[in-house]
Amino acid sequence: MKTKNIMILCRLLCCCCVLGLAAACTDFLDEKPSDRVDGDINNINDLYLNAVAARYADVGGHANSQGLQGTGRGVYDLNTFTTDEAIVPTRGSDWYDGRLWQDLYQHKFAGLDPIGDTWNYLMKAIMGCNGSLEQIDRFGKTHPDARLEAYRAEVRGLRAMFYFYAIDLYGRVPLFTSSAPSVADLKLRNRSEAIKYVVDELQQAIPDLSEAHSNVRGEYYGRFTSPVACFLLAKIFLNSEVYCDDDWTDGTRPDGKNIKWTVGGNVMNSWEACQYYCGRITAAGYELEVVFENNFLVHNEASIENIFTIPMDKYLFQNQYCYLFRSRHYNHAAAMGLNGENGPCATLDALRIFGLKEGDIEGTGPDVDPRFVKTYYSGQVFDLNNKQVLLDDGTPLVYEPWAVACDVSSTPYEKTAGARMKKYEVDPNGTKDGNQSDNDIVLFRYADVLLMQCEAMLRNGQAGAEADFLLNSVRSRVGAPDRTATLENVLNERLLELAWEGWRRNDMIRFNVYGEEYWEHPRSSADIKGYTTVFPIPGEILSLSGSEQNPGY
Amino acid sequence: MRKFFLCVASVAGAALACPVTAQTLSSPGDSLIDEGYAQSAVLTGSVEKITEDQMNKKQVTNPLDAINGRVAGLTVQKSNNGVAAMNAVRVRGTTSLTGGNDPLIIVDGVFGDLSTLSSIYPADIESFTILKDATETAQYGSRGASGVIEVLTKKGSKGAASVSYNASFSINNVYKNLNMLKADDYRTVLKNEGLMLIDKGHDTDWQKQIQQTAFLQDHHVAFMGGGDASGYRVSLGYMEHKGVILHEKMRNFTSNMSMYQHMFNNFLKIDLGMFGNIQKNVTSVYDVQKTFYSAACWNPTFAPSKNEDGGYDGFTYANQINHPLALMDSRTQDKTVHISTHGKLTFNLSKSWHLSLFGAYSHNEVETSQFLPTSIWAHGQAYKGTKKTESLLGNVALVFDRHFNEHHLNVLALGEAQRDIYTGFFTTTTNFSTNDMGFNSIQAGALTLWEGTGSYREDPSLVAFMGRISYDYLGRYSITATGRADGSSKFGSGHKWGFFPSVSAAWTLSEEPWLRQVSWLDNLKWRVGYGLAGNLGGIDSYMSHNWLQPMGIVPVGNAAAVALGTLRNANPDLKWEVKHTFNTGLDASFWSNRLIASVDFYTSKTTDMLYLYNVSVPPFAYNKLLDNLGSMRNSGVEIALGITPFATADMELNINANVAYQKNKLLSLSGYYNDYYLEAPAYVDIASLNGAGFHGGYNHIVYQIVGQPLGVFYLPHCNGLVKSAEDANAYIYSIEDLDGDGVIDIANGKDRQVCGQAVPKVLLGSNFSFRYKQWDVSLQLNGAFGHKIYNGTSLTYMNMNSLPGYNVLAKAPERNIHDQIATDYWLERGDYLNFDYLTLGWNVPLSSSVTKYVKRLRLSLTVNNLATITSYSGLTPMINSSAINSTIGVDDKNVYPVSRTYTLSVSINF
Repeated sequence: MKTKNIMILCRLLCCCCVLGLAAACTDFLDEKPSDRVDGDINNINDLYLNAVAARYADVGGHANSQGLQGTGRGVYDLNTFTTDEAIVPTRGSDWYDGRLWQDLYQHKFAGLDPIGDTWNYLMKAIMGCNGSLEQIDRFGKTHPDARLEAYRAEVRGLRAMFYFYAIDLYGRVPLFTSSAPSVADLKLRNRSEAIKYVVDELQQAIPDLSEAHSNVRGEYYGRFTSPVACFLLAKIFLNSEVYCDDDWTDGTRPDGKNIKWTVGGNVMNSWEACQYYCGRITAAGYELEVVFENNFLVHNEASIENIFTIPMDKYLFQNQYCYLFRSRHYNHAAAMGLNGENGPCATLDALRIFGLKEGDIEGTGPDVDPRFVKTYYSGQVFDLNNKQVLLDDGTPLVYEPWAVACDVSSTPYEKTAGARMKKYEVDPNGTKDGNQSDNDIVLFRYADVLLMQCEAMLRNGQAGAEADFLLNSVRSRVGAPDRTATLENVLNERLLELAWEGWRRNDMIRFNVYGEEYWEHPRSSADIKGYTTVFPIPGEILSLSGSEQNPGY
Repeated sequence: MRKFFLCVASVAGAALACPVTAQTLSSPGDSLIDEGYAQSAVLTGSVEKITEDQMNKKQVTNPLDAINGRVAGLTVQKSNNGVAAMNAVRVRGTTSLTGGNDPLIIVDGVFGDLSTLSSIYPADIESFTILKDATETAQYGSRGASGVIEVLTKKGSKGAASVSYNASFSINNVYKNLNMLKADDYRTVLKNEGLMLIDKGHDTDWQKQIQQTAFLQDHHVAFMGGGDASGYRVSLGYMEHKGVILHEKMRNFTSNMSMYQHMFNNFLKIDLGMFGNIQKNVTSVYDVQKTFYSAACWNPTFAPSKNEDGGYDGFTYANQINHPLALMDSRTQDKTVHISTHGKLTFNLSKSWHLSLFGAYSHNEVETSQFLPTSIWAHGQAYKGTKKTESLLGNVALVFDRHFNEHHLNVLALGEAQRDIYTGFFTTTTNFSTNDMGFNSIQAGALTLWEGTGSYREDPSLVAFMGRISYDYLGRYSITATGRADGSSKFGSGHKWGFFPSVSAAWTLSEEPWLRQVSWLDNLKWRVGYGLAGNLGGIDSYMSHNWLQPMGIVPVGNAAAVALGTLRNANPDLKWEVKHTFNTGLDASFWSNRLIASVDFYTSKTTDMLYLYNVSVPPFAYNKLLDNLGSMRNSGVEIALGITPFATADMELNINANVAYQKNKLLSLSGYYNDYYLEAPAYVDIASLNGAGFHGGYNHIVYQIVGQPLGVFYLPHCNGLVKSAEDANAYIYSIEDLDGDGVIDIANGKDRQVCGQAVPKVLLGSNFSFRYKQWDVSLQLNGAFGHKIYNGTSLTYMNMNSLPGYNVLAKAPERNIHDQIATDYWLERGDYLNFDYLTLGWNVPLSSSVTKYVKRLRLSLTVNNLATITSYSGLTPMINSSAINSTIGVDDKNVYPVSRTYTLSVSINF
């Protein structure tokens, strides 16, 4: 009897336990993380930090395909190693990478991972901007604040910039403004429609943007300001024959003179519009630095020429700049206390444009552009203490610029072929093998503006002294002899001035030479048909949105 | 035995589970107190129990070594041959693509994972019970989907107090290395090839330079005793195992204590237990591939010492590898402290009603320290980090168990709750000016603020309710039905709960009157069952919400600030991955158990299978989304045989063999997530080659392809070596135009074909043991058949283009291959038969004057890894062939040298 009572009691207890547990379950099974937070923002400082400043995490990068410059296999590589400017030669067992670099150089783009990864990066950046704009709107409903318009303009400007790169690389993009777009929003738009959207966005943003020089330390350091927007608009208008061409396979383009834009209340053609924005940048107080190299110093924040940079500080930020690291020879890097990957170098086309004669390995010939030795390591090299860099066997390291080829494996110059990247001053204290240094990465600078303006004038039929002056102001700064402003000279000048700055593909397409035959780049049928002027679009978005792939892929 | 909960009256379980010896242990009433979610009256599912006699007698490091090869369908594979390598364990293969493929480990009722086993000294283990099918694992619900291994440690028992001491001493020695070019041949070949020779004048065998003869010692002492109402057992164990690679060393100190006490005239039984360990691992192998790649390929003319500058000579032609001795200067040290305590109250409310309360707390802390000196890492790097796992578990179970004449009914109701707390922090510094202090003074490096420093906390919780009814009639017909509901905090609201029912039945034919007369038949039983099990191993906490985390550092004015953002796509609709299993089996024993046989057939289908899909950006912000779309099938047959051809007082021979045939097929990986159709790419690479010239591109070897088994080789076909166009003496791999389009393109979907699987189709384990008087011999053979191995090591080391930077195999110049395109040329059969160990034991006869003090004395001599029979041309075919990860099926410059261990053991019972 007694046992039975206890039994009943226990059963009751048990039931209570179970019921109690069941009630407690809901709470017990709720997640209450303490190492992350939800997205509620209640003050303007947090809003600025997480909705505006946070977007700059996508401008630079520290992983492959992330960031506009500084990392490998991203926007920069697609714009550089697909051109006659630079090449990553296969060096025996180094840098073959499944033919990636050879395929990029020879425009065999189908199936290359960096192309899809770069799309994902740019679209993620755009999604981030959309989310920020929604956040600002939400915040504004409960916390009216005069600063919100400027924040909105800044994020819209950034979004337009990411769109610009996406349109430039892939031709067609979805235009969506939500952070949770519907399937209908994902339809790929024609290039002309997309670029007009970008122009509108930038033009609408400008009035609310600061006029500050973004490359200078201070409140607007690294930020999207009005001169940055003007630069992008100038760039878009200069390329408008390309961007307004929705069928890049028919061998024709609209004439830039017939493409009209509304700028500052006036209707202008593309070349006038480009010049207008170049003029605005000049009016904002930018000048050429007296010394070319000043733009690329370890501490280059004082440059009066740089317009938009990725702030770099090895002790503050994560952003990396791997281009010097991956270019220089191991022993060269080691001599500076850093590391190297012995990769990218100048093509023979680049050497010729720089005026080197066959066999001139030091680049000291009489016709060589003065920027050659500022841009490349060639021939013998010295460390930071001026001590000659030696190979493992004790002989001097000599970069052989003329020995380069798509594949230099098993040649005597397998490891030493090619002129290497110099341009940026070496930060001897660089961390992460030298990937993290203090030189801010130059995205936009004023020398480019002068060359754009010169080119726009030439294309608009305004050849003459003024155009010559623009071209030669860039040339004379480095002591190069004057040249007449012609389109050919401008294209060459753009390489001389802007080598290693990620503009070559854009320039070659605009000048219609990207699909031509050049050194080690046979002209494929895809090149002839113009397919290769844009990259293939990832399959995921095509199947999701029911859109067609770009022609030829 | 089974786990924590209380148990049911009758059978302690496992019963004839073990076909190997088929001792049906139906410990009667006593087992009431055993742990376990009450075992049902009659076992209707697929369960195997391994008791001490059946465990491997070799030198073991991890308790799992003791059962490797002993259970059909259980694969135990070490990730490598390092002294502290973790085992990959699979019960009936891989059933999930994202995680949770490790079986649940339960030690004395405490839930844990594979690492928990390190805290148990193998000699403390009374038995292993392996639950394989869903009807048995159903009782563990969400955590049992990949099988359950229950470990029961030894307990004190009634009788005289006793002490046992076990010790063993071993030598581990490398017996097989790769045959690379010797220095003189290297010089000659380089001259002939016209390549730059950097000759430092030495003749160094780098593989030997990084190796050592390893000494191992193990000691274990246990005290036990008990009276009528209580018992206790306490043990201490210590292992010190050096590895065959310089500086490798593992030390493990374990302790296990348990006691029980009956109170109030057996109304209450109290069990208390505590086990724990402190394990320290030191290794100089921070990157397995880099270590062995470097040791094989480093320039043999270099000196095996530092240069005059106090550094190691570099060799820029070989930037993917390092000076092997420089690598040996790196240190990685793990220290694990684990402690588990558990207690159980069992109330025998009446003859039929039993209530138990079980609670357990585990604390596991791993401190990892690593130092990479400046000779191998540009400015040196030190890392120190700690990961802590705390686990709190409690359950309440009520059991009703009663015989009504020929009916036997057993009912169990269970409620359970568990909360784990994972926390950790780590920091990394670089820019070291000295290598002398390593990770013991990380401030000798400059701290990098953002990267390499972090902390986290997660606290997932789980609640479960279970009910089970078992019914048996006449001891012949039995049926068990289980229903279990599990709720997890990791899912979004509306998806937290999963319900996993199972049902199984058994028919003991040998108890039928018409079979009872058959004298040579001892037992014949047919089992059949079907059940569901849930899995959430692939899901981390917080995946159903878009929580914000630090996402990057951005400039704010002249300063830097950390901005918050999302780091991945959240999926609020995540739910349980479900495995449906059907199992049927036959157990039989004949001629007084001289022949025991058991056959099982199973088929399982995983649905709502979790997979990380590539998704479009936009609409998603990131290009990966974890979702429950997809399915996979596993099926197989397991046969176990035990034969005792003769058994006399003086002499006995036992032969045991188990064979498992397993088959896997990936059925689908596509479906709708909201409006978006998601589909895995047709070809997804799992394992690829690494090393110089293998970055990116077409170096993927093992793939996941829908419609194929998981882990197939998908490669271009090489139809032989042909002379290279550039060099008349050189050969390259000629690739067949498989798709016949006139172009050689080895991209996925083009000139490639499926040409074998990485997971063996058939696994064999067999043991021969022979006893003659006091002497006994035991030989274990394990084998795997029907799979292939990609010999990436030979592909790399036969490529003459690697010179001069990377040394090549001695036979490479003769073949003169100047190519390293990955084709099926180096795909080899992986079949092997391994003589796992041979033990010779002697139970020393003791005179009666001695037996007063020493009850038993045993000496034994064991050779581990005696020999391997295989046609595979690489170092060893025993590479990862079970865990689907980036190493499966590919021997890629990362294989430990093959070694043999000789052990002398002594075991004394006082």
